[in-house]
Amino acid sequence: MAISSATKAATDALAVNRAPVSVGAQEVHRWLQSFTWDFEKNRTKYSTKYKMANDTKEQFKLIAKEYARMESVKDERQFGSLQDVLTRVDAGNRVHPKWNESMKVISNFLEVGEYNAIAATGMLWDSATAPEQKNGYLGQVLDEIRHTNQCGYVNYYFTKHGQDAAGHNDARRTRAIGPLWKGMKRVFSDGFISGDAVECSINLQLVGEACFTNPLIVAVTEWASANGDEMTPTVFLSIETDELRHMANGYQTIVSIANDEAASKYLNTDLNNAFWTQQKYFTPVLGMMFEYGSHFKVEPWVKTWNRWVYEDWGGIWIGRLGKYGVESPASLRDAKKDAYWAHHDLFMIAYALWPTGFFRLTLPTAEEAEWYEANYPGWYEMYGKVYEEWRARGCEDPNSGFLPLQWFAENNHPIYIDRVSQVPFCPSYCKGASTLRVLEFNGKKHSFSDQWGERMWLSEPERYECQNIFEQYEGRELSEVIAEGHGVRSDGFTLIAQPHTSKDGKLWTLDDLKKIGCVFADPLKSL
Amino acid sequence: MAKIHDNPNRDEWVKKIAGLTTLAAGVALLTDFRVKHLSPFKTDFSLELDGQWIECKIEEKVALLKHQEFNDKQFLNNCTCGTEAQKIADKVVAEMDACTDQYVAEKIHVNFRLANKPPIMPVNIFLDTDRLLGNKLMELRNTDYYALPLEELRKVRGVKVITLQ
Repeated sequence: MAISSATKAATDALAVNRAPVSVGAQEVHRWLQSFTWDFEKNRTKYSTKYKMANDTKEQFKLIAKEYARMESVKDERQFGSLQDVLTRVDAGNRVHPKWNESMKVISNFLEVGEYNAIAATGMLWDSATAPEQKNGYLGQVLDEIRHTNQCGYVNYYFTKHGQDAAGHNDARRTRAIGPLWKGMKRVFSDGFISGDAVECSINLQLVGEACFTNPLIVAVTEWASANGDEMTPTVFLSIETDELRHMANGYQTIVSIANDEAASKYLNTDLNNAFWTQQKYFTPVLGMMFEYGSHFKVEPWVKTWNRWVYEDWGGIWIGRLGKYGVESPASLRDAKKDAYWAHHDLFMIAYALWPTGFFRLTLPTAEEAEWYEANYPGWYEMYGKVYEEWRARGCEDPNSGFLPLQWFAENNHPIYIDRVSQVPFCPSYCKGASTLRVLEFNGKKHSFSDQWGERMWLSEPERYECQNIFEQYEGRELSEVIAEGHGVRSDGFTLIAQPHTSKDGKLWTLDDLKKIGCVFADPLKSL
Repeated sequence: MAKIHDNPNRDEWVKKIAGLTTLAAGVALLTDFRVKHLSPFKTDFSLELDGQWIECKIEEKVALLKHQEFNDKQFLNNCTCGTEAQKIADKVVAEMDACTDQYVAEKIHVNFRLANKPPIMPVNIFLDTDRLLGNKLMELRNTDYYALPLEELRKVRGVKVITLQ
C-alpha cells in the first residue's frame, strides 16, 4: 500500500534528523526546530510593511509538553489556593468595598486584552517564518488562552464568594453605554489585532506587555493586598510569570526585522504611535483605578509610572534595543506630563458619568483628600473643593435629584471624547495636558485632545471612525439608554453603577435618574 | 421614542432587503449603499448609527442569492458580476504597485473594498488582494511620517479647522 506524501516526508525527515536518544527538553527543542518548512514562497497572511527574518531565534525554547507540565503546576497552586484556603478564610468578604469595585473594571477589561492577545499572537505566528520564532509565539497563544480564563475566573470568584456581584458578572453587557469600554477596546482590541502585523506586535508585546504589564499586573497586586484582596495577587502574579515570555517575543520580533531596511523607515514611527495609543488610555485609567478605587494607598501613581514606564521601559528596555535602531518614543515626554494629573481629570469625569458604568465609584474621604494634597499639591483647589460641593448637593443620595454631570453643564465645562483614543476629556476644567482640537471632514466634526492623536487621525482617518456615546445617544434620556443598554441589576430597575459603596446608602434606580431628565447632547454640534 | 437597536430606519431597510429577488439587484443595492453610507469619504451621515447593521443584512441576502445563482466553480472564482475575480485583483494590485502617492493609494484601497468586499468577491481572493494593497498603502503612509507639520497635514487632508486651543 502506497504511503501518503505527508508520511513519506516525515519518514525522509526522520532519516536525516535522527530522533534524540535523551528526553532533555532543550535537545528535543533543537530536534523539533530542524523540521522546517520551505519558505521560498511563504508569505504573511496579514498586511505588514516589514519582512521577518527566517533564522530568528527565541529565548525560552520550550516544547509544548514541557510548557503544559509547567503551567499545570502553576494552575494547581493558583486554583488550589483560591478554592481551598482563600474560600475557608472568607477572603472575598475581606476586600475593601472600594477595591472590590476596582476589580470589576481591572479583571473584566484585562480579560478582553488577553482574549485579543490570543488572536494577536496567532496573527504573529502566521506572519513569522522562523520556526523558533513561531514556537515562541505558539507558547504565547497558549498563555493568552490561560490568562483569558484566569481573568474570567477572578470575576467569577468575586461574584460567587465576594460582595456586590453586579458588575463582576456579565459586565460586557454594558459595553454600549460605558465610555471606558471604547477606549479599552481601542488599546486592547484595535491596537493588538488591526493594521500592520508587526505594528500589532509593537502594541501588544513591546508596549502593552513590556511597558504596561508591570504597572498593571504587578503594581495591581500591591494595591490589592493593601486593600485586603488576596485573590488578585494569587492570580495576577501567576499571569505575570508568563509575561516574561511575551516580552522576549516582542524583543525577538524587533530582532527579526532589524536587518530589514523597512525597519529604519517605519519602526520608530510605529513605536511612537503604539506607545501613545497604549499610554493615552492606561496612564489615566490605571492611575484612577489604583488611587480612587482604593482606600489604603500604596504610593502615588506618578511614582509607579515614573519607575516602570519612564525609567525601566523608556530608558532600560528601549535602550537595549538601541543597537537595532529603536529610539525612545518622542511622545514619552508628553506622556510623563499626563502621568501627574490625567488620572485626576479622568476620575472627575468618570464620577460625573457614573450611571453609565458597571461599577460603583466613591468620592475621596477627608483622609484621602489629605493624601492627594500631600502627593499632588494643588489637588484640593482643583478637585477637592468640587467634590465637597457635589457631596453637599447630595450626589450620593437618590433623592437629591443631582448628578455631577449637571455641575459640568451649569459651569459651562463641556465634556468631549477624543476620536482616536476614545478617552473623555474636559479641556476647560483639567490640569492635565489635554487641549481641544476640533476638525471638520466631509461635514462631520471630530474632536482630539493632543497632537499625537490628531496626526494619527489625519494620516489614517478611516481607522478611527468609532462613534462616541454623545453621538450615539444624542437626544435620548439617560435612564432609557441605561435600561436599553442593560445597565440594571437583576431586579430590572436598580442601577449596576452607583455613586457610593456604602452598605447603608440607598441605591439609585432608573426612576431616580428619570426624574432628573438628563438628555444626551453632542458638544460638537454647538461649535 | 424608538429603541436604539430596534428603530424605523432598520425596519425600512429590512423590508427593502426582503424584496430583493435577483443577485444583480442585490449587488446593485449593496454597492450603492456602501458608497453612500459606509465610505470613509462619505458626505451623507444619515445612517451613521445603523449603517453597518443594514450593510450586514444586505450582505446576508446577497450571499443567499449568490448561492442560488452560482455553481461551485463560479463561487470560488467569480465576482457577483460574473467577471473572473483574479483579473480584477491583478488589475488593482498593478495599479497600486505603480502608485507613489499615499492619498491616491488610500483611494485605490478604499474603493477596492467598497466595490469588492465579500460576498461580492470570493473571500479567498479578496483577502489576499486586500493584504497586498494594505502592504503598499502602509509603506506609503509611514514613509516620512512626520515630514509635514500638523498645519500642512490638515491642509493636505482637506479638513476645516473648527477650533484649536
